[in-house]
Amino acid sequence: MLDLRVPSGFFFTLLGVILIGWSYWRPDAHAPLTDVNVNLYSGIAMLIFGLFLLVMARRAAGRSR
Amino acid sequence: MKLAPVDYVILATYFAMVLGIGWMLRKKVSTSGDFLLSGRAVPVWITSLAFIAANLGAQELIGMAASGAKYGIMTAHFYWVGAIPAMVFMGLFMMPFYYGSKARSVPEYLKMRFDEKTRGFNAFTFAVMTIFSSGISMYALGLLLHLVLGWNFSTSVLATAAIVLAYTYLGGLTSAIYNEVLQFFLIVAGFAPLAILSCAKAGGWQGIVSRLPSNMTHSWAHMGSASQNPMGVELFGMVAGLGFVLSFGYWCTNFLVVQRAMAADSMSAARRTPLVGAIPKMFLPFIVILPGIAAVALAQMAGTGGAHLYELPMKLGAGGVPVKDYDQVLTTLMAKFYPAGILGVGLTGLMASFMSGMAGNVTAFNTVFTYDIYQSYIRKGAPDRHYLTVGRMTTIVGVALSIGAAYVAQHYNNIMDLLQFVFGFVNAPLFATFLLGMFWKRATANGAFFGLLTGTVAAALTWGLTIAEGKGGVFGQIHTFPSVMAQNFWIAIVAFTSCFLVTVVVSMVTQRRKESELEGLVYGLTKIRHDEGAKWYQRPVVLAVFVLVVAVILNVWFA
Repeated sequence: MLDLRVPSGFFFTLLGVILIGWSYWRPDAHAPLTDVNVNLYSGIAMLIFGLFLLVMARRAAGRSR
Repeated sequence: MKLAPVDYVILATYFAMVLGIGWMLRKKVSTSGDFLLSGRAVPVWITSLAFIAANLGAQELIGMAASGAKYGIMTAHFYWVGAIPAMVFMGLFMMPFYYGSKARSVPEYLKMRFDEKTRGFNAFTFAVMTIFSSGISMYALGLLLHLVLGWNFSTSVLATAAIVLAYTYLGGLTSAIYNEVLQFFLIVAGFAPLAILSCAKAGGWQGIVSRLPSNMTHSWAHMGSASQNPMGVELFGMVAGLGFVLSFGYWCTNFLVVQRAMAADSMSAARRTPLVGAIPKMFLPFIVILPGIAAVALAQMAGTGGAHLYELPMKLGAGGVPVKDYDQVLTTLMAKFYPAGILGVGLTGLMASFMSGMAGNVTAFNTVFTYDIYQSYIRKGAPDRHYLTVGRMTTIVGVALSIGAAYVAQHYNNIMDLLQFVFGFVNAPLFATFLLGMFWKRATANGAFFGLLTGTVAAALTWGLTIAEGKGGVFGQIHTFPSVMAQNFWIAIVAFTSCFLVTVVVSMVTQRRKESELEGLVYGLTKIRHDEGAKWYQRPVVLAVFVLVVAVILNVWFA
């Protein structure tokens, strides 16, 4: 069975990279009530989550081998 | 709301992802069991997240933010009272019979425990219900995308239906379950920032408490009488109606969620599914309800130029009088707090939950149709390949029927309101049937069938004879409820009680079944093998105690 952690890990890593890249390209992207760089912080969180899923999947694959 | 290119990139990435998962899973499908039941091989963390994600549709997301703004923290009752106890009960006491009986669906369990007519009744109502639910969720999606982004209704509905069809056709239930988990992650990623930003802007929980009336920030303190709290529900109606009948009816007998637990790879994993799922479920109110409550506080805070920081959206009500449009709270808050980028993530989360709501209904529909209607009444004893093909064809038909239902909803708004309301209590009598079926070996087939029938009729009669906020009362008016919610809870209580009593009485006067035929189906006649090889923290009882303790703490904290 396909390990769901692999595709979702890649997905969130990619999402994190897109958001972090976007936040540097457009640091002035603010909504009316937002003062912080929400794209950067969310991007970092998603990148970490994505990498965490990938690491977990790798460890599981290593164990079964 | 206008989307930037980056938002489209995120949305497109998600669509590619969803189709990719379906494509990768297509090779794993070689029997009807693989397609319709995931071959009972899904790990527990996936089944438990899918278990709660199947219920976390977009209407739920929008509705919870709306209820947060309308009723305040009392909305959390739908989680802490209306879900957690039922999920714990399901894992501890009911799962052994569902999983152990080897039934492939909830109606099939009814066939094994009772008889053909009880199964037929349940399979038919369930099939109709799933098609309409899936249609309603597509309609809501088309409406939202039209309202918020100006997209064309038909294009939105047909495009998303095509994607859902593609991945469920390719990978079956596994594909639907995997995408539900992905959707769950996306909802957390897309809406947790909104909860944090809106709550921080409103001055944190203390800031919200200082600005809102006390009955919006306390979940239990104003439950003494219906007139004191914004929901218009009194303590008994809440606990018995929502906490017992409706929530147990939904979480323990609705095949849409039960199917997720049945896909688990062992009895132990199946029992842990609702218990593990209950842990994130308890904390979802902080993501889905809190923004709605914060919105009310923000609407009272002064911004620049004498305006408020946020205005609750309005719409024209009956007679041209403007009324608050709570259903738009979530999207208007997103527009206030989300710049391009994270906005794309939030919107993708919303679309993902519409789509997986549709996929969940379609996968439940095709299982019930293939096994409980086609294999039972149309063509018995064909080779498995045949049923796999039927399952696949049913997926196409299910999606097509949902599209039809979406258009019906678009043209006849009132019919849909009514149907949604009916679905609210159609499961209520069913829980009495299961409770007696699983725990009382004397319950008979005729008892169950006539109980179920009476319960359903009683529910319809209660609705027809009472009135609340101008709704119901088509046969007369013998009672007036303070709110539609109270009416809903009491209909459920009446439906459950009448089904329970009639089942007991009819069972006592009809022929009992041989005990040997009930092995594996009823408590006391079933050897429950569980905990095999499980570590202490994987044991259902340990998990259940943990979940209940945290749920009590949350209830007390926000009492």
